[in-house]
Amino acid sequence: MNSSPPPPSPMPAQAPTRESRTTTLVDEDVPWIVLVWNDPINLMGYVVMVLQKLFGYSNTKATELMMDVHEKGRAVVANGTQADAERDVARLHEYGLWATMQKDN
Amino acid sequence: MSFSLRRRIRRTGKGVSIKIEEEERKLLGHLIPQLRDVLVGVGPTGDVDDGMRRLFPTAHPDDVENEAEFQGSHRDRLLAVRLDRLELVEATLSAELLTDAEHGAWITTVNDLRLVLGTRLDVGEEDDHDTVNPDDAASAAAATYHYLGHLLSELIEVVQHDEPDDPRFAPGLD
Repeated sequence: MNSSPPPPSPMPAQAPTRESRTTTLVDEDVPWIVLVWNDPINLMGYVVMVLQKLFGYSNTKATELMMDVHEKGRAVVANGTQADAERDVARLHEYGLWATMQKDN
Repeated sequence: MSFSLRRRIRRTGKGVSIKIEEEERKLLGHLIPQLRDVLVGVGPTGDVDDGMRRLFPTAHPDDVENEAEFQGSHRDRLLAVRLDRLELVEATLSAELLTDAEHGAWITTVNDLRLVLGTRLDVGEEDDHDTVNPDDAASAAAATYHYLGHLLSELIEVVQHDEPDDPRFAPGLD
């Protein structure tokens, strides 16, 4: 596994269902990033469908992210508070994607 | 399988029409109880099922405490969600029309089957449709795995075709 995290993706377009993020300087709210990891099983079209469905990404953006996962091994698909990230990871797991979360340093 | 210009699984005014063969429905009927067994942990004792691990992955790979909390909060619900979807597919195995919820359950359950089978077969990125020897259990499993990929593509195409005038939703990504 690559020990240094990739730079986070630019903030994704707001999907209708997501609350807006508050920014604070409190340590507990250090932004977290959500990563999706490449695996040899999930179909590319399936990954695109899931990213569109869960995050409201356009087909273009979701395809870009999927290609990043496929070619670089992983991609940042979302960021936010720890609670936000855990909810996103849980939803990605429901769809069988291999997702993890970590602090965005 | 006969060649047809019309997709076997497609949205109609009455729901998602699914015209797959009887043998396919039978196959799914055999696979679903096996998936249920994996999910509820029935199987060879002492074995940690790789398929199970794949269905319930780590969220915090480098943080034991946070990981324990995460699994405590989410694992039971994830199991329940999978079992509910499984039930929905089982109940609609003979159906020719699916609601959106049922169609969604078919997509994720077929994918769950692929995850378990693919993990057991230890498939790689470049795995191809190798020659199938009908007497070879491993080949049969591989053939089933590839069939499920094909079925999943057909199920997903419905979603991709939901915006027929949107050029972004052109099929063929796979």
